[in-house]
Amino acid sequence: MRYFSLSATRVNTERLLTHNMLQCHVKNCRPNESFPLTIKDPELERTEAEFNPDFMRGLVPKLDWTALRKTAGALGLGDLPAEMPEATDEFLQMLHALVLETRVVSGSMVCDVCHHVFPITNGIPNMLLQADEV
Amino acid sequence: MIARVSDQFPWGPVRIRIESWRCCRLTDPARFEQDHVHHVYDAIAEHFSDTRYKGWPVVEDYIAALPIGSIVGDIGCGNGKYMGPYDHLAFLGCDRSGALMRIAHERGHDVQIADGLCLPYRSCVLDHALSIAVIHHFATPERRRAALAEIARVLRPGGTALVFAWALEQVSRKRAFAVQDNLVTWKTTARQSRKAANDRTASTYERFYHMFVQGELQALAAEVPALDVIRDGYDRDNWWVVVRRRA
Repeated sequence: MRYFSLSATRVNTERLLTHNMLQCHVKNCRPNESFPLTIKDPELERTEAEFNPDFMRGLVPKLDWTALRKTAGALGLGDLPAEMPEATDEFLQMLHALVLETRVVSGSMVCDVCHHVFPITNGIPNMLLQADEV
Repeated sequence: MIARVSDQFPWGPVRIRIESWRCCRLTDPARFEQDHVHHVYDAIAEHFSDTRYKGWPVVEDYIAALPIGSIVGDIGCGNGKYMGPYDHLAFLGCDRSGALMRIAHERGHDVQIADGLCLPYRSCVLDHALSIAVIHHFATPERRRAALAEIARVLRPGGTALVFAWALEQVSRKRAFAVQDNLVTWKTTARQSRKAANDRTASTYERFYHMFVQGELQALAAEVPALDVIRDGYDRDNWWVVVRRRA
């Protein structure tokens, strides 16, 4: 049986929301310093997702704003203000486009402290470590 | 391991079967899991996924009750059958099997290849988590407890997780298991294994399961300092608990 239920709009790759949740977990690395992982050689994609203001309002406090701002700047997706603005509909729509519709198809995530490289292949980050890194 | 001892014994060939996996499981559990869990899932991923489409009601009810805007992690998500899509939840999923992650990704889920003993998420980042039919694959009690402790780490204080594990007490299965630690066979027909492993022959794989007895899952969760067991039960040959991370 193949999966024929996928519509064209549901091409999923790593969302920036997910990137905001991931950290380096190599043994003895300092995840607080290395967060967020730096995205290298990214191939980005934007896929439309339905905007739900209530859902976004619930999501806002869970984001690490400083990390999101740094990543958005590095990827050339725009300059975010240093402080998170008030949750107006306009801001929530911008945030929706940034964290839910922007996806990393390929590239890698690099830890700035221990320099471990986590590859992203076909939209799937490989976060496995070697035995001596755990 | 088959030892042939006919040289020593004059009364003819005697074959002694030694359960070698039981030794290896305790001396090198990581390697044992690689052979009897990871490699098996990578080989049977497609066939396995085709058989996993019906959700369990306890799991679906748990997901349906989660508040809007929750970040939910399905730790050991397999083909992603519980990952929705849901409009009101942000689902992340991870699994040790790259082959299963490719299938989950094809189905439109946001997934990562990761190890349950060393999750790649920030601490306290998930509102809720699922661990459905996962921790019974870890080879030792210490590793099963460590897997729960790792889920506790990534849950926010007050966040909950639903954990399912296979029960020794099985009502629907014809063949009961006598002991808790078992290798359970997975058979693919020639047609299925051609898809699964580029192989034209029928294949048999053995997956390791630790089958939980009544009360064991609750006791294991209670050993993790950050977790409280708030609900528990038995459903479809599995024991389940809902745990909450302490504030």
